[in-house]
Amino acid sequence: MWEQIRVNKRNSVILLGLMGAVLCGLGFLLGFAFGGGPEAGWVGIFVAACIWVVMMMVSLFSGDQILLASSRAKPVTEEVHPQLFNVVEEMTIAANLPKMPAVYIINDPAPNAFATGRNPQHASVAVTAGLLARLNRDELQGVIAHEISHILHRDILYVTVAGVMLGAVVLLSQVFFRGMFYSAWGGRRYSSRSRENGGGAQVLIMILAIFAAILAPLFAQILYFSLSRKREYLADAGAVRLTRYPEGLAGALEKIAGTELSMESANKVTAPMYIANPFRGRKAVNLFSTHPPIEERIRILRAMSHGAGFKDYNQAFEQVTHRVGVIPPSAVGSEDSIGIRQGALPTAEEAAVKHPQHQIGDIIRKVNGFRFISCSCGLRLKLPPDYNGKTIRCPRCKRTLNI
Amino acid sequence: MQCPVCQTPMIAIELDEVETDYCPECQGIWLDAGELEILLEDADQTRRLLDSFRPAETTETARLCPICLKSMQKVYVEPSNKAVLIDRCLKSHGLWFDRGELMQVLQQGAFDEQGKVAKLLREMYPPEE
Amino acid sequence: MVPLIIAVVVVVLLVVMFVGIYNSLVRLRNQVDNAWSQIDVQLKRRHDLIPNLVETAKAYMTHERETFEKITEARSKALGAKSIAEASKAEGELTEALSKFMMVVENYPELKANQNFLALQEALTSTENKIAFARQSYNDQVLFYNNQLQMFPSNIIAGMFNFTKRDYFEIENEAERSVPQVKF
Repeated sequence: MWEQIRVNKRNSVILLGLMGAVLCGLGFLLGFAFGGGPEAGWVGIFVAACIWVVMMMVSLFSGDQILLASSRAKPVTEEVHPQLFNVVEEMTIAANLPKMPAVYIINDPAPNAFATGRNPQHASVAVTAGLLARLNRDELQGVIAHEISHILHRDILYVTVAGVMLGAVVLLSQVFFRGMFYSAWGGRRYSSRSRENGGGAQVLIMILAIFAAILAPLFAQILYFSLSRKREYLADAGAVRLTRYPEGLAGALEKIAGTELSMESANKVTAPMYIANPFRGRKAVNLFSTHPPIEERIRILRAMSHGAGFKDYNQAFEQVTHRVGVIPPSAVGSEDSIGIRQGALPTAEEAAVKHPQHQIGDIIRKVNGFRFISCSCGLRLKLPPDYNGKTIRCPRCKRTLNI
Repeated sequence: MQCPVCQTPMIAIELDEVETDYCPECQGIWLDAGELEILLEDADQTRRLLDSFRPAETTETARLCPICLKSMQKVYVEPSNKAVLIDRCLKSHGLWFDRGELMQVLQQGAFDEQGKVAKLLREMYPPEE
Repeated sequence: MVPLIIAVVVVVLLVVMFVGIYNSLVRLRNQVDNAWSQIDVQLKRRHDLIPNLVETAKAYMTHERETFEKITEARSKALGAKSIAEASKAEGELTEALSKFMMVVENYPELKANQNFLALQEALTSTENKIAFARQSYNDQVLFYNNQLQMFPSNIIAGMFNFTKRDYFEIENEAERSVPQVKF
């Protein structure tokens, strides 16, 4: 467990270094290609290194806010969704985190969730309205436990910083292509000069730079994604260890896999943060997959029949995938056997199956500050925040209700 | 969302899984695209009803769709011989029913006869005394 | 000269290591204490919740006087407990009484439709979960702390500064040990 955290921290540093190297290499080639000489290449490295440092600082101190804002997540209070708050608090206690993460809801009908932040003291979890509407309590607990595991394993800083860095590499190579386009268009005069003094090497560097600009974002993405895949398995294992209930997360993943909706508020950079790939319709698992196949994750969880520890997850993993277990032996070593608990029966509220569309609508309304009033005739009234009246007449029984 | 008639905030009302947007001032009802199908719980019936819409020549002033704020089209709903005049957003954002019109449409077309929608509507719009 | 420098470096390294291990032991012990206090916090929360719950349910459940009496009795016993053994016995009784109560609720559909009661029910479920997870987390922390006390070289420092092993939170009933769930 603690060894795992250390390994994760080290991997994060290595990854960030590699990302920096990719960025600097790209900077060198771009400088070389545009400036026409190795001196300009050094300037390119310097500029890239500056970008790297600035991006690092930005992502360290406000990366979570950037990612939350770009996902259109809204901070909510306990009244909006008491159960969500309770479940987050339960998992905070189970993981013995120093502070409960801030809770956000994303107004998106596709079910998904993510965690972000700098460290356990500064962490946030965000879930979509679609997730809240579809999952029962145990399943929601499984998802939140998965996210809390990301916080506990220090994955959040890595994903946050790496996400922002990946954004920087993508941006830089786009700048390069724009620049090339404009220089090819309007820059004939300068290129004729460079052609005079030994054009061959210049052309070669140009070609190299083009390749680099195409490959660097891909390379950065592969680095980012390959590490994030392993972390998903580890967070699944951590979630089961916290909840002692593999079926909760398995059921949640099944429901998430069963919806065909793509998330409108996710993009290429934020995709790896989510518990399941927010984009639908791309089945193949390759170097660019941000997530392990969801069906495989479900099968592993369902194969955990003996216990809820890391050891049991590893066994199930090997049994299902025929690969070597994902959890390092140091984390498995000192663990006692951990039992699986019984699932709760559906509560009264859950038993009354609600139309998910209505529930999503209700959650979104609550996030947006609507007030909910129940009339004694049974009719529920949902008032927008800009409704100013002090009283309202029930449209059904014509009673006057106080707001 | 503002009522297309009164320009005041509309509220949402819900009873037994039936939900609509409602204007407490003029008592009109707004149905988002797709909500009609949820209300009737039947895709065939919904299509039949939507297919019966016929653009109307009328002097009534056009109202604005509360979502896109563009002028809505006046259409006759003709499930039977007694046509009801309602407003439809040309960008298919939804339908507007003045006070009691939704009930008339459902009653005349023999849609959802004993359903909970009709029951709620009858309670909301009791016959004038 | 050189041997002196080496000696100084070795001493400095040892001191740094010593301080590091001592601090990590203190941190671990604090985490154990923190996890323990969390159990207390949640038990207290349950006590605060009960009067409200009983009040709301009483109006609907007119024939369940006995169930309510048991809950109230267990609660006041838990509040008045003087020793940890007494308290844990009373809390166990309270858990049992509450889960019995939740089973009886099944027979009162009107109660289950009451928004106010549903909110209280969610609060109770969550509190029961929090108590269970707090115990679970306490045991996790104790496991890690005790392991550290036995391992070299932290065992030497632990011995010097009187870091003592902590006991696990045991529940007699084995079925209950794996997170008791309130059944509705």
